Amino acid sequence: MMGSFFSAFFDVLTSEAAYINALTFAVFLGFGATGEWVAERSGTLNISLEGMFLAGAFGAAIGMDQSGNEGVALLCGMGSALLVAIVQAQMSHRLVANQFVVGLTLNILVLGLASYLASELDPVTRKSSSTTIPLLSDIPLVGSALFDRSWLFYLIYPLVPFCWWLVYRTRWGLELRSAGENPQSADVSGIDVNKRRRQSIYIAGLTAGMGGTYLVLAAVGQFEDSIVGGRGFIALIAVIFGGWTLRGTVAGCLLFGAVLSFRLSLPALGYDVSGDLLASLPFVVTIAAMSIFAARVRPPRALAQPFVRGLN
Amino acid sequence: MAGDLHHDLTSTTIVSQSEVGPAGPASGGRVAIRLDQITKRYGAVVACDQIDLELRCGRIHGVLGENGAGKSTLMKIMIGLVLPDSGTISIDGTRTRLLDPTAAAAHGIGMVHQHFSLVEPLRVWENVALGDSGRLRPAEVRARVGEISERYGLDVDPDAIVGNLPVGVRQRVEIIKCLRRDPSILIFDEPTSVLTPAESEKLFETLRHVVVNEGRAVALVSHKLDEILQATDEVTIMRQGRVVDHVKTDQTNASALAAAMVGRHVSLRSERVASSSHSTQPAVTETSTDDRPVALAVNGLRVRSHDGVLTLDDLSLHVRAGEIVGIAGVEGNGQRALADVLSSLTGLDAGEVLVGGRSVAAGVAGAMAAAGVGVIPEDRHDSGVVLEMTVAENLVLVDATRVAKSGVINRHQLRANAERLIAEFEISCSGPDAPLFSLSGGNQQRVVLARELSQQPSVLVAAQPTRGLDVGAIEYMTECLRRVAASGVGVLLISSELEEILDLAHRIVVISSGRIIGEMDRADADLGRIGLLLGGQAA
Amino acid sequence: MTAGFDSTDIDHAAVSTPDMSEVPPHTVGPLHESPEVRSQRMKLLSETAVLYVVCICAALVLSAIIVELTGGDSGAVFNALLDGSLRGPGRIGTTIGVATPLLVVALGSIISNRAGLVNIGQEGQLFIGSAFAAYVGARLGGPGPWVVFVLLVASVVGGALWAGIAAALKYRRNVPEVLTTLLLVTIAAQLAGYGLKVQWLLLAPAEGRSNRQQISKQLADDTRIPRVTWFGNEFPISAIVAIALAAIVGYALARMVWGFRLRMLGHNQRTAHRAGVSAARYGSGALMLSGAFAGLAGGLMLAGGDFGNYTLVPGFPSEIGWTGLLVALVARQRCSAAVLVAFVFACLRTGSGFLASTGVERRITDVVQGLLVLALLIPPAWMFLRQRRRAMASSEDRT
Repeated sequence: MMGSFFSAFFDVLTSEAAYINALTFAVFLGFGATGEWVAERSGTLNISLEGMFLAGAFGAAIGMDQSGNEGVALLCGMGSALLVAIVQAQMSHRLVANQFVVGLTLNILVLGLASYLASELDPVTRKSSSTTIPLLSDIPLVGSALFDRSWLFYLIYPLVPFCWWLVYRTRWGLELRSAGENPQSADVSGIDVNKRRRQSIYIAGLTAGMGGTYLVLAAVGQFEDSIVGGRGFIALIAVIFGGWTLRGTVAGCLLFGAVLSFRLSLPALGYDVSGDLLASLPFVVTIAAMSIFAARVRPPRALAQPFVRGLN
Repeated sequence: MAGDLHHDLTSTTIVSQSEVGPAGPASGGRVAIRLDQITKRYGAVVACDQIDLELRCGRIHGVLGENGAGKSTLMKIMIGLVLPDSGTISIDGTRTRLLDPTAAAAHGIGMVHQHFSLVEPLRVWENVALGDSGRLRPAEVRARVGEISERYGLDVDPDAIVGNLPVGVRQRVEIIKCLRRDPSILIFDEPTSVLTPAESEKLFETLRHVVVNEGRAVALVSHKLDEILQATDEVTIMRQGRVVDHVKTDQTNASALAAAMVGRHVSLRSERVASSSHSTQPAVTETSTDDRPVALAVNGLRVRSHDGVLTLDDLSLHVRAGEIVGIAGVEGNGQRALADVLSSLTGLDAGEVLVGGRSVAAGVAGAMAAAGVGVIPEDRHDSGVVLEMTVAENLVLVDATRVAKSGVINRHQLRANAERLIAEFEISCSGPDAPLFSLSGGNQQRVVLARELSQQPSVLVAAQPTRGLDVGAIEYMTECLRRVAASGVGVLLISSELEEILDLAHRIVVISSGRIIGEMDRADADLGRIGLLLGGQAA
Repeated sequence: MTAGFDSTDIDHAAVSTPDMSEVPPHTVGPLHESPEVRSQRMKLLSETAVLYVVCICAALVLSAIIVELTGGDSGAVFNALLDGSLRGPGRIGTTIGVATPLLVVALGSIISNRAGLVNIGQEGQLFIGSAFAAYVGARLGGPGPWVVFVLLVASVVGGALWAGIAAALKYRRNVPEVLTTLLLVTIAAQLAGYGLKVQWLLLAPAEGRSNRQQISKQLADDTRIPRVTWFGNEFPISAIVAIALAAIVGYALARMVWGFRLRMLGHNQRTAHRAGVSAARYGSGALMLSGAFAGLAGGLMLAGGDFGNYTLVPGFPSEIGWTGLLVALVARQRCSAAVLVAFVFACLRTGSGFLASTGVERRITDVVQGLLVLALLIPPAWMFLRQRRRAMASSEDRT
């Protein structure tokens, strides 16, 4: 048993296809998680990330179906996800409806809407072709996984440093962090806490839209209503796993991406594992990771606490 | 000017306004900001009623008043957090509307807040930059922090994390944050509540420097008489939303200010304290309690907070039955942790708590309360009451089984219990079913007191029991604590107001950095000695 | 606080600390209700009512627009929904059958919400509950009623255990229950799916099913919950049990010391701890009880006959868990209101079965439901904010 575990582990580590699969999932998670990281630094927690992904994927599919242009599809995807983000932000950070409740309801609503509209409109898409980056893609093992991809994949490379810069190097980011750590102080210092929070959710919506577009155009190639299938929650948790640092979040995405890909990689390598148990592995690993790390990391102090002036 | 005239006719001031009024030649510097007939209502409540106020360059202007007198609203109007209903504000002679804090900042008004303006996990320079506009230039901000701290002697490392700094240093950061924008008008809101006497001295020096050398106008908001007398040039006294008096500081004295502030003559605590420390008779005329049994003993308490800071460091003390032991100390030196331990809210890393000689497990839900430790918490909203529940329910929080039979609450008993306590403790509310949040702060405090005493505790811990209360409520609370002690309960009084401790305690211990650094009987105590101890010096 | 975050009330009034303290002493407290105050309150009430009506109408109109835009006929859809839920012969019985588990799930969420916990994993707890019930139902022999009883107990245990994982992680490892309950939903579905693949767990014996079908053994006739017929509407008697449970839970939360302590915990954990209410004990109790209710709902679904024809299949919970949670939210965490809301939501669901005739995809009811819930979140949140601003105003002057 242990022996076969290690041989499987070794096979996965040395399989180029395994890296491709893992990075496909990791990048998909990464799009959502990066934006969600920004949003969580402002003290919000968006369960609706799942819905944003799905809206992004659906919007992109429709955009692709209508225009045939991947750029337009990306804009449509980001726009649709932004719409979900706007509802989430306005409901829970202008009105003060509970953000979990709003997020949950939005997930259900988006799922219903996407599957209803998909069955009515039936968007047709094709898979985005890859752009090979010379030299870099020749690196053994990981070269093609990292540098022989759809252009949508490459968006993650600038996105992550951009979000880091946004949060740590701009005034907007400073205000955002203060809203997540101590909204009362931020308020007294003249910062519109809820506005910053809403804006940060918009960022999450936009990046989740990119993730949804990537998923439907580059990873799967066809829209189905189960396309996200709970993986939005994993992206959300990658942020928590990463201890609310961007570095940790990226690490979390890579780890969870790898775990998610086992379901594809292991059978491809000839290992027979029950699909159901393997499918639950990322969730189990996530829970295990949280129970190990949750006690050690420090979340933004006002995470998931609504701000109303004078409360608290 | 009609307003001024009106004021002159109606107010019974010691020094009428016209003597120090705007036209008076003796009043010194140019008018920096002038508030004219400012009124702010909240529903039926008038928080500010036709207030006139002038701050002059080069002067420190005290604003004195009790809690709820309208000082805070007035200051919030000045920094743009609150919009007045009527009245005008002129800055440098020009009428201005201050719509938000940014606008006020742009007009050169800055405020040093009492609480809530620093973000602990951020660095000093980041905090200082917070609330500005334009591009973020870290190097510039750091340099500016260094420059300001040098000029005013406010020593601070710009790259330190604010959360790691002691309270006194945090206030420096707060002041730097304010001065960075080079404000012409500075407002200090209760600045000394977190400082040792020595730190307060230092603060007033800085203030003086800012005023005399740089010609800024300063408003010092306070409810402490001695502070106003010590630091200000002139003082405006507010009561119930109105300006009741306006005098030059050197032409008044503590009792006149107190009378104006409260609206009747009060025997000042400081007077009581002063007279008692001059006479040989202690403030409390009870016989020695040394032979009474020990009600509460804590031995070698050690508590580490979540971020690894030692909040209690080998702290030991005891309280005898019938004795009031006062814990004096600057805020943030472990008082909270001690109260938390005695409220079962924190476990111990080392040490033990003995109530009536029996060891009580720390941190176990309800254990302290069950062992007979009553607590009036420092922040009743944090661990004293449930705002959303009714008065009757709040009166039985600790032991609901008292009014229940086989697990079902008997509504009649619940009500009867509440009615009895409401009458006994004169709690003003619409009835037992009033939600607690509908009560005023003083009455919420009485609910806590009534509940804790109805449990017939053997020990009562009172943490900052009079904070935020008006004079009447303070008198009630003080009297109550005396009575409780007289009935044989051991009272542990935790307070950052030295006078309160000198007034009430039989025995005084001084806390600093989580340990007891001095102990004395009331008869041997004087402000000077405690003051030295508070500063961390052995005496 | 080391990690995680304080989970707030799942009810919109997460921020329900109407802290109006420190009213300046010179005010007459807001206690003696003057005619002015009363008329103000009446105004507030009528405004709330209007707001609710407006929001619900907006949600319905929006749904109609979506239907029309995709080429459907919204009038026909509306009629089909009514036919399917209420007007058709015997349809009310079907609706009651669907409303039953919804109500039971909702009662569970009300309990955990009272303790200030955000359990959003009912869907998974329900699945595990029904899986436990199916396991017991397929194996246990003996008199029918006894089997029904034991399988329901098993479903309760299953749901409680599944929620217990989240409780243990919350109180031992500080992992927020919002996330664990959520993740456990997916894991539950996959575990049950696995169970339905192997015969030593749930898969029915080879005879009586096609080869690769994942299905559990059908419950025997005498191990099903009896059904009654009233005025041509047939439904399982568990509906009556559910109503009784609503009454019991309502009573326990409002009148018993246990409910009192749970409320204390939900509103102010520190005050509760000082007063002897251990968050770990009462909180995990409430979370597990909440899971137990969801599990029971699963058992009732399996043995009640309105779902899956007395068998367990993948996807068996069919979003009853999620919807039940929404029922509790819309009912604003009140047991009596939950009865009504559960029925309304059940109507949407049974009505959707009749949509095929209109040519409109049945998922539209999910859209209607989602929009309705969002719409119903707005009025209380808006009223709260207004009340809050007022309270703020009167406490503005605290120093």
